[in-house]
Amino acid sequence: MAETLLEVKDLKVHFNTPDGVVKAVDGVSFSVDRGETLGVVGESGSGKSVTCLTALRLVNLETADVSGEVIFKGRDLLKLKNDELRKVRGKELAMVFQDPFACLHPLYRVGDQIVEAIRTHDDCGKDEAAKRGIELLAAVGIPRPAERFEDYPHQYSGGMRQRAMIAMALVHNPDLLIADEPTTALDVTVQAQILELIDKVKQDFNIGVILITHDLGVVSDVAQKVMVMYAGRPVEVGSRDEVFRQPLHPYTWGLLESIPRVDQKGTRLIPIAGAPPSLIRVPTGCPFHPRCPHRFEPCDKEEPELVDRGGGHPDACHLTIEDKKRLWDERESRRAGKVAS
Amino acid sequence: MRSKRNVWIIALMLVLSLVAAACGGGDGDDGDTGQNGEAEGDAERGGTLTWESEEFSFTGGFDPVGEYLGEAWGVYTNLLLRNLVSYKHAPDAEGNELIADLATEVPEPSGDGTEYTFTIKDGVMFGPPLSREIVCEDVEYAFRRIATETLVAQYGNYYEGVIEGLEIGKDPGKGGISGITCSGDKEITFTLSEPTGDFLYRLAMPAAAPVPEEVAGCFKRAGEYGRYLVSSSGYMFEGSDQMDASSCDSLEPISGFDPDREQILVRNPDYDQATDDYRENWIDEFHHVINTNTNDLEQRLDTGDNDIVYTPTPQTLRKFVQDPELEDRLHVYSGDRTWYVTMNLNEAPFDDINVRKAVNLVMDKDGLLRAWGGANQGEIATHIIPNSMLNDTLSDYDPYPSENFAGDEEAAKAAMAESKYDTDGDGICDAPECKGILQIGANVPPNTDMLPIVEASLEKIGITLESREVTDAYTPITTVARRVPISIRPGWGKDYPDVYTFAVLFQGNGIACEGNYNYSLVGLTQEKADECGIPLNNPDIPSVDDKIDECYAVSQGPDRITCWGELDQQLMEEVVPWVPYLFANVVYTVSGDVTKFEFDQFSGTGAWSKIAVDPST
Amino acid sequence: MGRYIARRLMYLVLVLLVITLFTFVIFYVLPPSDAALAAAGKLPTPEILAEVREQFGLNDPVHVRYVNFVRDIALGDEYGWPGFGISFDTRSPVKDEIFSRVGVTLQLAAGAAMIWLVLGIATGIVSALNRRKLVDRLVMGFALFGISAPVFAVGLAALYLFAYRWEISPGTGYFPLSEGFGPWFGHFWLPWVVLALQYAAFYARMVRGNLLDTMGEDYIRTARAKGLSERKVIGKHGLRASLTPIVTIFGLDFSLLLGGAVLTETVFNLPGVGQLIVRSVARSDLPVVVAVTVVAALFVSFMSLVVDILYAYLDPRVRYT
Repeated sequence: MAETLLEVKDLKVHFNTPDGVVKAVDGVSFSVDRGETLGVVGESGSGKSVTCLTALRLVNLETADVSGEVIFKGRDLLKLKNDELRKVRGKELAMVFQDPFACLHPLYRVGDQIVEAIRTHDDCGKDEAAKRGIELLAAVGIPRPAERFEDYPHQYSGGMRQRAMIAMALVHNPDLLIADEPTTALDVTVQAQILELIDKVKQDFNIGVILITHDLGVVSDVAQKVMVMYAGRPVEVGSRDEVFRQPLHPYTWGLLESIPRVDQKGTRLIPIAGAPPSLIRVPTGCPFHPRCPHRFEPCDKEEPELVDRGGGHPDACHLTIEDKKRLWDERESRRAGKVAS
Repeated sequence: MRSKRNVWIIALMLVLSLVAAACGGGDGDDGDTGQNGEAEGDAERGGTLTWESEEFSFTGGFDPVGEYLGEAWGVYTNLLLRNLVSYKHAPDAEGNELIADLATEVPEPSGDGTEYTFTIKDGVMFGPPLSREIVCEDVEYAFRRIATETLVAQYGNYYEGVIEGLEIGKDPGKGGISGITCSGDKEITFTLSEPTGDFLYRLAMPAAAPVPEEVAGCFKRAGEYGRYLVSSSGYMFEGSDQMDASSCDSLEPISGFDPDREQILVRNPDYDQATDDYRENWIDEFHHVINTNTNDLEQRLDTGDNDIVYTPTPQTLRKFVQDPELEDRLHVYSGDRTWYVTMNLNEAPFDDINVRKAVNLVMDKDGLLRAWGGANQGEIATHIIPNSMLNDTLSDYDPYPSENFAGDEEAAKAAMAESKYDTDGDGICDAPECKGILQIGANVPPNTDMLPIVEASLEKIGITLESREVTDAYTPITTVARRVPISIRPGWGKDYPDVYTFAVLFQGNGIACEGNYNYSLVGLTQEKADECGIPLNNPDIPSVDDKIDECYAVSQGPDRITCWGELDQQLMEEVVPWVPYLFANVVYTVSGDVTKFEFDQFSGTGAWSKIAVDPST
Repeated sequence: MGRYIARRLMYLVLVLLVITLFTFVIFYVLPPSDAALAAAGKLPTPEILAEVREQFGLNDPVHVRYVNFVRDIALGDEYGWPGFGISFDTRSPVKDEIFSRVGVTLQLAAGAAMIWLVLGIATGIVSALNRRKLVDRLVMGFALFGISAPVFAVGLAALYLFAYRWEISPGTGYFPLSEGFGPWFGHFWLPWVVLALQYAAFYARMVRGNLLDTMGEDYIRTARAKGLSERKVIGKHGLRASLTPIVTIFGLDFSLLLGGAVLTETVFNLPGVGQLIVRSVARSDLPVVVAVTVVAALFVSFMSLVVDILYAYLDPRVRYT
């Protein structure tokens, strides 16, 4: 039986700004098991980052209303005192971020930053910490780790920096690793390496991973579970196979279609029409309805709940399963047809 | 009953004054001595007198040959130098009287008035590090220095050509000036090229004080000797005894004089009070210190950190004037100086004497006095030479009178109507030469306040002025080629108590193209105009050179004063170069630690050799 | 780095030459008034003027004078090195005057610097961490006052309160340390505080701004994610990045101050370079004015080099070739 590491229940994060209330996260629930990679997919502003940052309270929550629960290994992180939360951060729950250049302190050596991470939760001497650090650098695939240990972040390449960040996240064998857009700032070739590294780490250390990305392609390789988010809420949740083979939300369809495919050379990319909605004035009913080519009568009035409507996994769309399957097939063949001609 | 009590009071006062006279008397012929260490009134021996000022105002590095301002002179004549003849260090006319200091007595010139012989007193010594008696050669050396071009004597013109054989060039060497002869160590004779009535005054100037050649001879350039000055009087620079005078190379500047910060004077151990009838020398130490914060140095009067403020700011002056308790700490004296508006006789419209008379009549002198700060600043000048220098013989003379000195517009217009520039004779100038005339003033008060007053006065007779405030106003007005028509900037004080030191301002042959002080160009000739590169616009410029020469020769006494008085009147009525407006006072405010204050009329400063402080300071 | 330093030193010499040229032209060539006139006496004759000009070295043609001027500074003159000649006013060697006064200005500047660094940085940090709260507003309000209030007004007011009224300070003047710690410190603490106030205000604002910017950087988030205590996050990660620009600014501020804290020295009657330059400008004492200008320029140029090199050590991303 898989051990559930993290369970998020109806998390809402509303920011009070002078312009209005920004509903960054509006009712998110999911769980992650040990040994599992959850891919959280969505555009900018979908709330995917804020969800995870809120779990570790790494966002400024002074002007925010937060409700819901974030249960990590049986404890609600939102209710922990600061000292207790600090003991979790970096030790049991680690996070790597999108732009490794900006995420490493430019004025300290990489090695020193790793040693710092080690000695925050571990009372060992500097030399021992350094040794461990170098080992970790080797483990994440950095060549000549002893020399690179003494370098500054600006002396690393993008991929190496991300590896180093991952190494730093792993110093205390955390149970869960959250990777927020870890490959977005990297070249495609390096992307693949990093994803492979994350996957390897997951297996070797037997941990859980949340992989946040806007790129479905990334998710298809390494995630076991997928959650698609839009306007601060999940619109479809399922296993990777389920979501990719039988997507049940027009937004997901749009995402899938906008992935450039090698076997469709020469076709134009199909973007999703329209722009992401304002989180202050979220559209009534289904937040996606203004951009949805399949919207119909209830869409602007009633917000669809995230439930399994018979498709095998939950989705948040008023369309019936039959309609969904039909429409998806039509869209698929239209695309295939385009290739043929 | 009352009258009886009055009689008792008078009798008591008589007795007291007799007692005071008996106790205070010494060898001197007048009653203001107390040099035997006794207390006189409140004065006691001891203590430090501290004088803070924003700057030293030294003009020649404190070398006596190069100093011509009162601040330095006061220190020289009271504390550091003794001359053959000197002054009593007292206020008013008494302070301008000559007495014998280094010499045994004040001589009369021989026969034709060209020879003066002095006997030097015994026992007058140079202080440390020399500690030796002063002899004739030391006095001669002072004049050799005046004759040395590279030392830049600041008033060498009073000696060059006056003392026979004294020409400014190279150091003439011992015996090199034919007009100065030493017979033995103690007898010195001066031979002049012509009778010079005020010669004795010239011997009382600091440049004429004896100088030791073994120290001063090491310095070839102007202003260098000041930091190595050897004293011949009651005080010396602190640290003089540390100076190594064995050779020129071993000399180091005396520690007690830092030209940037302070002068510290202490008693001269080689000084013999018995040889000095006029200096009382109460204080033990004299500190003259620079304090760049004017507000602060006046505040420190209250705490006694500063004992003397010279020319206090209007606010402080007001405080002292209004508070009866502070009254005896305020000291105001006649300064033997005149502030005036100068008019250029070579520039229109001032080339017309009627215009100049009209200007004198219309000027609001009272307004100018108020700009200076009111009644304490002096008395309104009605003629050129300060009354104190003419023994008050002209104190009622006012050729251009007006009610309350505010200006007489009608009389001025009447004068203007006579001028060629007033074409319609209505008393208001209408010729273009009267419009837009340049006036120069300084850019600080009270000049800035006075410029508009002059403008307003002259406008009444149709002369419009364009005033310019300048940082260094003296440069344009002393440069003849700049042709400045009118200026409120100037003031002039005596160099010594004879009118000749004012008369030099009007000598035609004394006009210099640069550094000129005859701003009005009285006595300008075509040659001089050509030399300075200006056109001679006014061929009728009057000259007073003859009158000056006449008075120059008259020997000291009432006749000489009468002659100078005639010159003043001639200037005011026939030449009219200026509008004199103020015989300026000297104002001192002192701290509560000063137990006795005296003013030295010669230097225009405190009489430091007679001032006493509370000995505990 | 060595080559960089060598190059910068060469530029330094070039900059100094240009400065000497400008200074020379501004003070000796441009002014319409004759510097010799002031020293020529009450009734100067043409002969006297000529002699004074000769002694002041004003007779030679301009380019000869400039060459002599530069040569004297570089190699020294009869009074020592550097050869700044003789003051027109006091007739003493300028070099001696400047050296003794630089010492006083240095004491003034150093004391004030310590105060303003501590005060400015501490209040800046407190402000940044309590952004928009009352503490922040009070501190920034006070900073605004400190920056706006002219030093001489603050100085005079401080003297009035602390020296005359409450008698906590002994007042104006300078006492060297050799005459006792008490008098030395007693006369310095008030001018230190007055001088420091303006800079402290400026530095508080700067530190506050820098720290706020830095705290928004991603690596701060990483530090928190690692589980570091908030104190370490701010103190070690936040400050390190926000204080490096302060070093540069401080270096330049301090070196400028060495050229004379003109207003403070005048108000407190401290015999430093600032007081010297006021006196010499007012009395057209050209050799002193020029000498102080050159010395001040030297301090600033040299310090800017030091600061740049220091910056390379503080920020490893900066590399000079």
